Amino acid sequence: MTLEAAIRSHPSRLDGLDRSAPVWVLTAAVLALLILLPLGWLGYMSVSAEHGVTLAHYARVFADPQLQKALWNTVVLAFWSGLLSVAIGAPMAWLSARTDLPWSRGIRSLIMASFVTPPFLGAFAWVMLAGPNAGYLNKVYRSLTGADDPLLNIFTMPGLIFVVAIYTFPYVYIMIANTLGLIASDLEEAASILGANRFRVALTITLPMVAPAILSGFILSVLQALALFGSPAILALPAGFHTITTQIWALFHYPPKVEMAAAFSVPLLLATALLLLVQKRLLGRRGYASVGGKGAQRRAIPLGAWRYPALLGCLAVLGCAVFLPYGILAKAAFSRAWAQPLTWENFTLANWSFTFLSSSTQGAIVNTLELGVLTACVGAGLAALLAYVTNRKLIVGHQLLAFLALAPIVIPGTVLAVALFIAYTRPPFLLYGTLWILFIAYLTKEMPVGYSQSDATFRGIHPELEEAGRILGAGRLRVLREITAPLAKSGIIATWCFIFIGVIRELSASIILFTPNTKVMSVVIFDLKEEGQFGAIAVLGIFMLAMTFAIVALMQTLLGRDVLGQRSSGSPAGASAPG
Amino acid sequence: MPGVTIRGLTKRYGDVAAVQGLELRVEPGELVALLGPSGCGKTTTLRLVAGFLKPEAGEIWVGERCLSSPAAVVPPERRRMAMIFQSYALWPHMTVDQNVAYGLRLAKTPRAERDRRVAEMLKAVQLDGYGSRYPGELSGGQQQRVAVARALVVEPEILLLDEPLSNLDANLREEMRFEIRRLHETFAITTLYVTHDQAEAMVISDRVAVLQDGRVAQIGTAEELFERPRTRFVAEFIGKTNLIDGVADGTGTVARGRLRLRVASTDLTPGAPVAVSIRPHQIELAPRALPGTPAAPDANVLAGTVVRASYLGDGVDYQVRIEDSDVVLRVAGPAPPRVRLGERVSVSVAPGACVPLPSDG
Repeated sequence: MTLEAAIRSHPSRLDGLDRSAPVWVLTAAVLALLILLPLGWLGYMSVSAEHGVTLAHYARVFADPQLQKALWNTVVLAFWSGLLSVAIGAPMAWLSARTDLPWSRGIRSLIMASFVTPPFLGAFAWVMLAGPNAGYLNKVYRSLTGADDPLLNIFTMPGLIFVVAIYTFPYVYIMIANTLGLIASDLEEAASILGANRFRVALTITLPMVAPAILSGFILSVLQALALFGSPAILALPAGFHTITTQIWALFHYPPKVEMAAAFSVPLLLATALLLLVQKRLLGRRGYASVGGKGAQRRAIPLGAWRYPALLGCLAVLGCAVFLPYGILAKAAFSRAWAQPLTWENFTLANWSFTFLSSSTQGAIVNTLELGVLTACVGAGLAALLAYVTNRKLIVGHQLLAFLALAPIVIPGTVLAVALFIAYTRPPFLLYGTLWILFIAYLTKEMPVGYSQSDATFRGIHPELEEAGRILGAGRLRVLREITAPLAKSGIIATWCFIFIGVIRELSASIILFTPNTKVMSVVIFDLKEEGQFGAIAVLGIFMLAMTFAIVALMQTLLGRDVLGQRSSGSPAGASAPG
Repeated sequence: MPGVTIRGLTKRYGDVAAVQGLELRVEPGELVALLGPSGCGKTTTLRLVAGFLKPEAGEIWVGERCLSSPAAVVPPERRRMAMIFQSYALWPHMTVDQNVAYGLRLAKTPRAERDRRVAEMLKAVQLDGYGSRYPGELSGGQQQRVAVARALVVEPEILLLDEPLSNLDANLREEMRFEIRRLHETFAITTLYVTHDQAEAMVISDRVAVLQDGRVAQIGTAEELFERPRTRFVAEFIGKTNLIDGVADGTGTVARGRLRLRVASTDLTPGAPVAVSIRPHQIELAPRALPGTPAAPDANVLAGTVVRASYLGDGVDYQVRIEDSDVVLRVAGPAPPRVRLGERVSVSVAPGACVPLPSDG
């Protein structure tokens, strides 16, 4: 073949691009559209006036005492629940990673259960447990002591902080347990041999090494609390106060004040971005904390007489996060009146038949499953393509693509919903009122998790495996089909699972974007609360949890490791807001 | 069977040129090793030949086909080449049979012939009976053989190997060197072999191209490179050597201080800086007290003192300080030692063993 013939038979001028090029370019375009369009609209709307631009919306938002109050409440909530998460998560991480704590695998599983529990379900359960009047714990307390006043009132700021923290501490736990797992015992023993006692070793060696992990766990918890809608809506609103997210939601009540919601969203967006930047920096400097690596020997520190008290402490926390809430949900699901004792007279299956047979809940379940499957399929596919493009550096600007794919992490669900509402209630994309706007919201929101998952998958597939196929005569798409895809399969299915779990529990964006015909399970749960239908809530909650656990089990089988370990290496994927 | 011709090949990563103006010709059926330290551009060159990279300048020809130029790059799958990777790149989801048969399947070889050729090839690499195993169930050496079989079974025009032995342990590595040489003699495929291990390059190849900063510093047989290095870099990279920096004293002598060495050249420019390379095993030591065997009449004979002697079993590694100079020579002497630590010795080197190099090289 001559040079000319070679040029004719291979017209592409770009490295390794050939016939697959349009696929990669299209992927990039979809991603850019998905993220830049709504955020562009959000920014524009927050400064738009009838003529030109204005900062009036910002001025109005920040002058309004009610909004100021919401802002302050959010700061209080985020700070204290972050602190409480660290106070719970850090000792538990140390206990389960470094000591001979009994039953530590069971503890780890329960922490995982708390991790995947939708926070708004936990909040509902705690309404039933510690509501001032009918709360189960208060009833037990009254019958034991004869007192008239309730022991606990969950409808307070401390109550809210507590309920938020028991579902965000797993983020701290994961960060610290994984860091501790990387530190070789040698480092601590080197100090012991020089004469430091156990306490001193922990204080001068172990603690400084995990300090960046603790701080970044704190930031992750703060981010969770900032973005949360469900728990504040359930606990703060009856108590008579707002947070930023509930306030944004309230701004959408008739008549909707979209410009103000936009102006109120932008600071939340910036705060999240800033916190994540700080967290990333902390982890970037973590090099000295991850000394040792895989060869590190770890020996359990004996707790001695403290073994069982320590176990009891862990179980107490998990009791609050898992046992009590799950118990009360199960009780409510089978009771005529959830607050009454579980007797034969009070036993019923009516909640179940009501939930699964009534058309409104049925429709929501179908919507949720449809959206879950659709988003997970499209999301896993898109994430896989993106991760492939960025890992193999297939197009110019692939770093920008990775950045874009991870960018939604800084967008709280509520803010994303505001942005999507603005972007898709006008031409050329009129999607408001359809399931498609929810689909886009979920897809955008889950993209960071999906991308980090897929990225890890493709990073594990050596490029030489593909090159070996190319040089033997297979084109890029054929290599993708016959070599890459089979190797990436379990990783991609795991990505699918992550996205599906994220979608079926999503509340903070759905609550703004739903319309009567496009309700999803989380929204119905929220509605049922207004009607006081706690039995039906419990049934839906149990259904949601059962689905989640089934998927988690599937994922663990596929990956051969648990969901918590999955979030090692400080990937900010964990920051995607669940509520 | 075509050869490979590379002309003026240049590849940049950002501002850094990994390969610049590289020239190389591989004769049909020849095995050429690309040898050099990390960062010399050897792997980049190989990947350019494979078509995974596009050059900024230059051309790669295989026989009458121009495969790469800045204007167009024939994709890897249409180059009729095979490659053996550092990681072996065996597909973990396919059995040994499926791995080896993959290239034949792509070439649409009929089923019966495919099976026959796969079986034959597995036999050639001493893996008959392993066809239904998965790569994960094989040892490192066996995986290596599968990778070889997968590359050879397609009867490629050109075979490329990228540090294929670097993941094996020392014993196996030595064994596989001979194995690869044997297979090359059997199949006689034009081959480019990348390695940073000079012993490996010397055992396996017909010729060795030493790469430095993206260029071929010198190409030749192992003997040529060892005996007649043309640059300081090549002299130091291939085998151990003593380098003495000096100035040409006449057309055939180099001076350093009061030291004079007759060298293997008669056309030096007097006054020009010259480095002299002397291999440790080409230096003879004799106790000065004894007259010993008389050195060749034209040999350089110097007086020195043994300042270190390390017994290595099959030889002795000496350091000898030359009198009236700052030069310390390493000398590989025979075992048992004929001279002792601290002993005054006479050092003789034939002029033919003193290879002059341009001092800046």
